[in-house]
Amino acid sequence: MSTPVFSVEGLWKVFGPKGDRVPGDPELTALEPAELRSRTGCTAAVRDVSFDVHKGEVFVVMGLSGSGKSTLVRCLTRLIEPTAGSIVIDGEDVRAMDKTRLRELRRHRAAMVFQHFGLLPHRTVIDNVAYGLEIQGLGKAERRARAQEVVAKVGLEGMEQRRPAQLSGGQRQRVGLARALAVDPEVLLFDEPFSALDPLIRRDMQEEVVRLHSEEGRTMVFITHDLSEALKLGDRIALMRDGRVVQLGTPEEIVSHPADDYVREFVRDVAREQVMTVRTAMRPGGCDGTEHPGALDPDEVVADAIKVVARSGRAACVVEDGRCLGVVDHERLLGVVAGTEPKKEAV
Amino acid sequence: MATVTASAPRVGLPGVLKHRAAQKLLLLALLAAVLVPLADARWASGSWPHALTVDVSKPLADASDWIIDNRDSHPLFLYFFGYISNAVVLCVRAVYLLLLAAGWAGVTAIGAVVAWRVAGVRLAVGTAAAFLACGLLGMWVPTMQTLALMVVAVLVSVLVGLVLGLAAGLSDRFHRALRPVLDTMQVLPAFAYLLPVVLIFGIGVPAAVLATVVYAAPPMARLTALGLRGADKEVLEAVESLGATAPQRLLTARIPLARKELLLGLNQTIMMALSMAVIASVIGAGGLGDRVYQALASVDVGAALEAGIPIVLLAVVLDRITAAAGERAGEAPGSRLAWLYAAVAAVVVALAGRLAGRLDWPDSWTVNLADPVNRAVDWMTAHLYSGVPVVGGTADWAGHFTTWVLDPVRSGLQWLPWWAVLLLVAALAWLIGTWRTALTAVLAMAGIGVLGVWKPSLDTLSQVLAAVAVTLVLGFATGIAAARSDRFERLLRPVLDVFQTMPQFVYLIPVVALFGVGRAPAVAAAVVYALPAVVRITTQGLRQVDPAALESARSLGASSTQQLRQVQLPLARPALLLALNQGVVLVLAVVIIGGLVGGGALGYDVVFGLAQGDLATGLVAGAAIVCLGLMLDRVTQPTQRRTKGGV
Ligand SMILES: Nc1ncnc2c1ncn2[C@@H]1O[C@H](COP(=O)(O)OP(=O)(O)OP(=O)(O)O)[C@@H](O)[C@H]1O
Ligand SMILES: [Mg+2]
Repeated sequence: MSTPVFSVEGLWKVFGPKGDRVPGDPELTALEPAELRSRTGCTAAVRDVSFDVHKGEVFVVMGLSGSGKSTLVRCLTRLIEPTAGSIVIDGEDVRAMDKTRLRELRRHRAAMVFQHFGLLPHRTVIDNVAYGLEIQGLGKAERRARAQEVVAKVGLEGMEQRRPAQLSGGQRQRVGLARALAVDPEVLLFDEPFSALDPLIRRDMQEEVVRLHSEEGRTMVFITHDLSEALKLGDRIALMRDGRVVQLGTPEEIVSHPADDYVREFVRDVAREQVMTVRTAMRPGGCDGTEHPGALDPDEVVADAIKVVARSGRAACVVEDGRCLGVVDHERLLGVVAGTEPKKEAV
Repeated sequence: MATVTASAPRVGLPGVLKHRAAQKLLLLALLAAVLVPLADARWASGSWPHALTVDVSKPLADASDWIIDNRDSHPLFLYFFGYISNAVVLCVRAVYLLLLAAGWAGVTAIGAVVAWRVAGVRLAVGTAAAFLACGLLGMWVPTMQTLALMVVAVLVSVLVGLVLGLAAGLSDRFHRALRPVLDTMQVLPAFAYLLPVVLIFGIGVPAAVLATVVYAAPPMARLTALGLRGADKEVLEAVESLGATAPQRLLTARIPLARKELLLGLNQTIMMALSMAVIASVIGAGGLGDRVYQALASVDVGAALEAGIPIVLLAVVLDRITAAAGERAGEAPGSRLAWLYAAVAAVVVALAGRLAGRLDWPDSWTVNLADPVNRAVDWMTAHLYSGVPVVGGTADWAGHFTTWVLDPVRSGLQWLPWWAVLLLVAALAWLIGTWRTALTAVLAMAGIGVLGVWKPSLDTLSQVLAAVAVTLVLGFATGIAAARSDRFERLLRPVLDVFQTMPQFVYLIPVVALFGVGRAPAVAAAVVYALPAVVRITTQGLRQVDPAALESARSLGASSTQQLRQVQLPLARPALLLALNQGVVLVLAVVIIGGLVGGGALGYDVVFGLAQGDLATGLVAGAAIVCLGLMLDRVTQPTQRRTKGGV
């Protein structure tokens, strides 16, 4: 694995009077959220969270409303000051940064996209997109030119002179995305960027993000409360509940091996064949042949394997680098769909 | 389940309230039972006991004498107030000369051009017509005097308001400290501001400008703070997330986001400044207000009207232009080129006027309005004042109102023992508000007694009560009618708009024409002045009643009067209380000014103090006005206002 871009260790955020005594007090940290609130008047929005975000991956944080996702993502650039723990970006301690350094971080290294867009209503689209560059002190001509490129990239050509009020929700969020992209940040942070949008537009925007990611390979931290969005976009998913990360893993790990009943309930209705890969479904061991009927890639999802198997009417081989890893047949595939597949075995 | 929890408080509330009201009254009665016999035994007297007054007129007179003696020698005056005073005079003079140098054609053109760019063609025509009307009425020079004073006062007010508002918008502590001060200033009648500035600056333009600034700056400060605080949190977060510095955040986000509020603040400041600039004629402001003041002093209605019309025109034009600017705040700004053309056009017109040698408004172009108006008034005096068959005359009405309403209320109030008045104030304030508002109200009322102006204050209070009663009856009736009929409301709206923009002072003109001088005309002016606000708030309150509640009442077969009585009025209670509060504050302001037209009491004391140079009397009356204003506001202040945190 590549080096982590963000490395978060034991992060706490406690809102309320004298919140900083909570993380260090084992008696208080053991309390349930409701109990903590009634005892101390504090809300622990983020509790002892640790994770790494690797270069080039889409790291999704998901959880129900109030689970502390927004607070967590804001702590990363200290828009909300963390109470305890450490945050390291590229080996540099974020919590130790002084004002100037922090501003540098926000200006060049991490840019955020907001749920309700956060656009400046009195500026045109192009000036909103160029806003981050303006803050950095770039000249007008240069920032306009760079903003123009980004506007084109997110598909907003021809709307440069409009104001946010004259745009649809989806278009506004494209402006928000463009504004974040314009400063060419190392990491993009998204806080439920699409939850205010209609389902169809949401899907468009999700595809836009997938496209941007595959074209540029930018590291992304993506907050959502929508499981299908998380599964669609995430390379890895951290599932939050009441401020804690209850499970962290790839979509497949989460769907196939829920860490507890909470997660299990969460993923119950997921179309498993869309998430699980052939690698998990196959029966290990070669096919002892050279033809490799079917010849499926191990990272393909089960739904695709079903098509192949159904069409040919017989078991298909799973092939990686010309080597046969195993076979999938009707029985194995049905097992995945029904959720009765055998526990994961070493590959 | 949800419906049960939702409806439970609604059903329970009146019961609890009644319960609490009874508790409050019981507690108060207990307190009274202990305190009243004690107080009565010690200071038995109907009016405020003499033993409890503090004679402040002597020290005040001394202070005022000292200031007058030292105004030209003491360093404080020489190096501080003196500079302020000179600077103000210089600025007003400079603006005045500039306006005169532009000539009437130039000023009209500039006004029209600004109106055109800000608010469109229609308003540009209206502005030009308004300026020309001022000239036609022979009021060009006084209009320019008032305008010059206004320009300076508005600039300073805006500056002061912006600075205070910025500080309050950015610092919570400053906001907490400033808010009650602004709240209180908002309820004080304009007259209360006059004497302190006169004490320091003497009668003249500097005093007038400063009084205007003190009166007009609060709305700017309040709205600036409101705008800065009301900014969309996520936008500010977005700005912060891009690494903006604090000044960048302020200049590129917070201030632009508050543009609507800033322009609304400008609008209110201008309107208040105009209102005060006219009233300040009694302390030497000159201009249009002075013409009205002089004319009213000699009951010359025609002359008063000649100066009053330009005031109204100025008010309407200024209000519309600034309001249009506020409404357009969200749109794209017009091109710079258009502004350039407009400016060039205005300069060309001004130069043309100059070259044609027509800087001053030509005398031959004036219309004499005073004589016909006065003839009409004379005719009215002869035919309508009294003895009109069946209905009686206007003077008869005024007389009846005085004998049958004002006199009984006044003698009733003055007959009440002083402690009974305090008790009444406490009970009312506590029932409507909290114990805090009740305490402030009682202390304010007691302050009046301590100042030794118990009797005249009760006289003023009787006028206020009478006027408020009339205002509420008319206002609620009109408001209900407007809420029930869209047509009526559409007809009413422009009338209310115009009435709400007019300065308090001009309301005195028509009532003097109709009713002569005395207390009844003062009350009538107060009613007319306060009515639009009461009507408007009532209508809005009734219309905002939850449609679902009305729907359900209708589905149960309630008749429309039942709907009104059982659903709309109870649910609109907060709005009605707010209307009461506003009505009281507005009525007081004009009843005090009524001192100029024979209203007597505190207002007269202020005018008398100013006219005779007896500042001590005036200042005591001013302080009593402040106390009365505070008391009336607190007595009618619903609990919600504290928590609402709006304008
Ligand atoms: N400024 C604050 N002061 C006190 N408590 C706060 C504050 N901000 C958030 N909280 C609390 O912290 C908890 C987590 O809030 P957060 O906004 O991070 O949740 P979220 O997962 O983003 O929810 P949503 O999906 O609704 O956006 C909530 O219980 C919230 O009430
Ligand atoms: Mg959130």
